[in-house]
Amino acid sequence: MNIHLYLRLNQNDMRIRDVNKIELVKEKAVELLVKVGFEGFTMSKLAKLCNISVATLYIYYKDKDDLILQIGLEETQKLSAMMLEGFDPNFTFEDGLRHQWKHRAKSMLENPLSCQVIEQLRTSTYQEKIFESMTETFKQTLGVFMDRAVAKGEIDLMPMETYWSVAFGPLYALVRFHNEGRSIGGRPFILTDEILWASFNLVLKAFKK
Amino acid sequence: MEINGLSVLLFKTNIRTATDKQFMTELMQQHEINQWTVDQEDVDCVLRIVSNEVQQADVIALLSLHGYNCEELT
Repeated sequence: MNIHLYLRLNQNDMRIRDVNKIELVKEKAVELLVKVGFEGFTMSKLAKLCNISVATLYIYYKDKDDLILQIGLEETQKLSAMMLEGFDPNFTFEDGLRHQWKHRAKSMLENPLSCQVIEQLRTSTYQEKIFESMTETFKQTLGVFMDRAVAKGEIDLMPMETYWSVAFGPLYALVRFHNEGRSIGGRPFILTDEILWASFNLVLKAFKK
Repeated sequence: MEINGLSVLLFKTNIRTATDKQFMTELMQQHEINQWTVDQEDVDCVLRIVSNEVQQADVIALLSLHGYNCEELT
């Protein structure tokens, strides 16, 4: 084989292996953070879990804080992107809210560990740095959507907190029951499409004038 | 190891206290090492230097000269 071609292929192979390694590190870091929390999390525990040397971790991350911050940012960006995929602030209120229920449910059900880490981050010292950019993105899409629904006379003007609690509170409660496998009083629970959309219809009814 | 074309040098140290870190800040400035961090939350107090100018052995010698433990992190 031509030596240049060989080197180029070899280089690509190296890159793929590095990318895989970083993906593994991210996945295991999320698992470990959920399991042991920020205090119990150490670089050596993570390295052991990934079957790599501690030195390899320090190649990519300056320290534990840097690692948690970078991974936290990526996880929130990933879930935000899933939630907002295909969303248009010009949707009718019903279509927009339906889109949000569908995408939020999907992102939370498909990424339960990421959701737990994000919850942990929300009450941590990393909170400010991580959620600053996310809040702005949501304001520009969902905030505009809500304002337009009010302007078009589809819903009443109300405090943002009231809107959010009524619009998404029931969804988050259902997903939590599902992830825990049980609801109030320890009753076994699985979130089905029927339950999801029946609850959605009730929420929609609450907003309709 | 390299990242973005720059060498990453990693060391196990005992740069454990705020005073140690302050001393290290001055030492690094004197030797014009700008991109460095030390993870004081880690048991190995990992010193991380990103540079193409400095050699691993030089860093070990420098820190040892000032009474610090410093060895390559593997």
